[in-house]
Amino acid sequence: MTTKKRPVGKKKFVSFSDDDALSRTGRLPKNLPQHGSPPVYVRRTWQTIPFHLIVLSYWFIKHSNGYDVRKCTWLLVPCQVLYLALQFNPATVYGNKILKLNYALLAVSGVTCILLTIPCMLLVVLFGAPFLEMLDKTWLLSLHCCVLSYPAVYSVLNSDFKVGFFKKYFISIAVGCWISCLAIPLDWDRPWQEWPIPLVVGAQLGAMFGYTFCSQL
Amino acid sequence: MRFKEVGLLFCQLLAVLIFAAGFFPQKKVLKGDAQFQYMAETQRALEPAFDKLVLVVIDALRADFLFQQNVSHFDFVHELLNRGEAWGFTAYSNPPTVTLPRLKGITTGSAPNFLDAILNVAEDDSSSNLKDQDSWISQFAKHGKKIHFFGDDTWLKLFPEEFFQKHDGTNSFFVSDFEEVDTNVTRHLPHELQHKDWDVLILHYLGLDHIGHKGGAASQFMPPKHREMDAVIRQIYDQVDNRTLLCVMGDHGMNDLGNHGGSSAGETSAGMVFISKMLSSYPRPAAQDGVSSPVTAAEDYQFFTRIQQVDFVPTIASLFNIPIPKNSLGVFVREFSSLLGQHATTKIIENYHQLMQLAAKKTAARGNDDIDSMLAEMKDVQATLARTATNYNYAMLFLGVGMLSIVTAATAYCYISSARLNEASVLMIAVTALLGSSVFGSSFVEEEHQIWWWIIIAVVGYSWATRPSCTPSHLVFLVCARLLRGWNNSGQKFMYDFTVAELLKSHPSIKWLLVCATLAVVALDGFTERPLLSIFNLLAGLLCFVYKTCWANVNGEVSPTYAQTLVTKACSLLFAGGTPWDDKQLLVPLARLFFKVTAAIVCMRIAYNVVFAKRKFLSELFPLFTIVLIMQTASQNIPLFLVFTIMRSSLRNILRVGYPQQRCEMFFVLSLILQNLSFFQFGGTNSIATIDLTNSYNGISENYNIYVVGLLMCIGNMAPAIYWSLAAVVDHQLYSKKSYAQQKLSSMFFYSVNSLLLLVACICMRYHLFIWSVFSPKLCYLLGWNILIHFLTETVLEPFLLMVAG
Repeated sequence: MTTKKRPVGKKKFVSFSDDDALSRTGRLPKNLPQHGSPPVYVRRTWQTIPFHLIVLSYWFIKHSNGYDVRKCTWLLVPCQVLYLALQFNPATVYGNKILKLNYALLAVSGVTCILLTIPCMLLVVLFGAPFLEMLDKTWLLSLHCCVLSYPAVYSVLNSDFKVGFFKKYFISIAVGCWISCLAIPLDWDRPWQEWPIPLVVGAQLGAMFGYTFCSQL
Repeated sequence: MRFKEVGLLFCQLLAVLIFAAGFFPQKKVLKGDAQFQYMAETQRALEPAFDKLVLVVIDALRADFLFQQNVSHFDFVHELLNRGEAWGFTAYSNPPTVTLPRLKGITTGSAPNFLDAILNVAEDDSSSNLKDQDSWISQFAKHGKKIHFFGDDTWLKLFPEEFFQKHDGTNSFFVSDFEEVDTNVTRHLPHELQHKDWDVLILHYLGLDHIGHKGGAASQFMPPKHREMDAVIRQIYDQVDNRTLLCVMGDHGMNDLGNHGGSSAGETSAGMVFISKMLSSYPRPAAQDGVSSPVTAAEDYQFFTRIQQVDFVPTIASLFNIPIPKNSLGVFVREFSSLLGQHATTKIIENYHQLMQLAAKKTAARGNDDIDSMLAEMKDVQATLARTATNYNYAMLFLGVGMLSIVTAATAYCYISSARLNEASVLMIAVTALLGSSVFGSSFVEEEHQIWWWIIIAVVGYSWATRPSCTPSHLVFLVCARLLRGWNNSGQKFMYDFTVAELLKSHPSIKWLLVCATLAVVALDGFTERPLLSIFNLLAGLLCFVYKTCWANVNGEVSPTYAQTLVTKACSLLFAGGTPWDDKQLLVPLARLFFKVTAAIVCMRIAYNVVFAKRKFLSELFPLFTIVLIMQTASQNIPLFLVFTIMRSSLRNILRVGYPQQRCEMFFVLSLILQNLSFFQFGGTNSIATIDLTNSYNGISENYNIYVVGLLMCIGNMAPAIYWSLAAVVDHQLYSKKSYAQQKLSSMFFYSVNSLLLLVACICMRYHLFIWSVFSPKLCYLLGWNILIHFLTETVLEPFLLMVAG
């Protein structure tokens, strides 16, 4: 019900969007920090829970043969696009509007994601990944992370680079990777301790947490 | 420092020391030599099964090197195994799997204690001597047998030279040599085999171990080395009669990286083969029956019959009819009972009596009992004895822990009540909690460097995200930290081939350029403000450089020509007299000159400060201290001090702009993190094996003082930690409003909580498999950190400097 009210109310207030006080008292959750004006935010709703990630992680941990990261990434791509189209985009509010899916931007943000793998890989190496060895695997990890952040990248592009609000989505993926590193030094010698499998799972869990709860923060 | 803090610190140190004294007791050993106990007269009259023994110890000979298809290239041994003239075993070698404790096990049959592993490092120590301990070597010697020994000089350290009629030791110090260590041994063989004027011939080959250390278990040098050893075995086999027993064994195994010391399957599974022409006329061991060698891969390197390495001792003693050494835990290897004929039962009962006496158990009169049940009982006793090889002094353990918990509670109270709630104190508490809990996991102790890295990236990431205005400094800091991480391998699990240190070793010209740059940058720091002091620093830096190149020349490393000209020029200037000096003779006077010059500069500066109080005293002395630390660092690690300089300036920048309110508190916490991280990335680990002794003898002549060497060793291994500790104090003096004692509470909190949890972990895990290979070394390192960094640097040196600074 609320979802329908907001677009209706928006039309009245759109000319006042410069007026912070009005738009804040009107529609925004009280304690939400403002990111640019008009504000961009993700509604607090169960709609953003990434169920596909739960299934995918389960499949990756239990049923993928030998933890095939490549295959997992291939599977992840359509899931993420669908997630963006059906769940994340409808929940994202741009200056009090909910925008329709922009198919051109979908492709552009896909390319952006692939380009982002290079700086992402650089960051992963800076944060301690092996250098010169296993670069292919590190690249695969950064590709996976970038695909995981695809909805957020799309939204950043869609909102004229208002990184401020979507920063936490990227951070939650990074924190997921970081926490999962704890599994690496253990001397259990399990196949899943191989680089970069723990980090892939960590990134998925981080993304899961991020897409579910970041709108609440 | 205030009285309260000093008191707490002393109590903390005392508690840890008390604990350590209870934890590392000298093992009780039975004195005296064994005599036959059971039917002594009959036994004395027995004929031994063999007349002569040839023992070939091949260092780090893992079981699969001897037996496994595609791995082993001991073709002749395989042939003998198939003919039944050789009996193969996999011998479990009790950790710590390093040579000295293992040799003790092989000769005396006793389980090693942890002190032996430490003494393995201390080359010149003589307290591990087995002169007064019963072993089959001493039994042979007492029975008038002639023993000849060639190989690793650890044997000569263990046994008095009069045991060996002839000996030639090779030093295992230069691990990079694969060939000469072994040809040095083999060259004696033709003479020995021709004259046969010995009863026992012991050969200890080191080459295989060296190959493992250098290139891992699958190194390309392994197959030729196997063939070389195989040829040695064939040579001996061909020239001895069938009254000679040839035994080939590894003292321990190795893991796939080629290291050893721990308790993994690879490290503890050593190969053992008994070879004699006579053996083919006896039934071969059941596990070897119908098996064709080389055999296929087995899980955990378990090939053929599995025995304990110490079982070698009673077996040899029985076969050669000598009394079983008193402290032996070994159980006679059942397969050999057929060689003893009708006396087998006698010998096993003898072994039973000896073992029960060691276990201080009453022995029921065993006469014609069933051999199998007796052997089974002996195995049980052996297992119990091996587990309780060390007797902990529980009173001292609990006194230490109790005292430390009181101290920790007091420190925690003082710290928490005085700390303001800010990022620095939260970080400190988080680090303390994390490190404290990590000591309960053996892999986290082994891979502690990963935890510190994990913490530092979290801190940088957090700080970057919350203070985006300092992005360039954060990036610089991160790049430097990553360089530091890539400089050396640490821990046990991951060994990367392309570390910066390895690259620099293979490109000496770049290395020496970087060393020059480092020394110049460090020495000329603050040149514009105090040119005179900088020139003095430069002088010290120059001396340091000359010494380092000179050292490289002596040790066969490559140094560039400009450095060599510099050395010649400097030396003709310094040590006038015109006669050309040998580089080797120069080392000691050069190092002494360096230390004298630095001491003089420090004294001058202190005297100057006593007259004209200058606030910048500490930051002005800092470069000179850094040069001293550089002096004690291996040359491939020296450029890291350049990295540190950059890191320090970017860190100061971040703290100045991003954390103006808690600048010094933050620096103290980060200093603690960086101390540990850089200690590990200099190549240190929590294992005894990586203690670096190369810089411990700088300026030390032959009749040296052990305490000076110890101090130099500590500084050499802890140089980066001292650097960061001093760096924090420099900033403290310049910018802090708090007193040093108050500031110090945070690291006291860390050390006391960390120590307490480690002591608790040691008590909980005292019967854990890894107690000697992981937890005990960690306890030693904790002592080292406590004494050197926490006490000497941060409680003696730094307050003194602060006092002079006024």
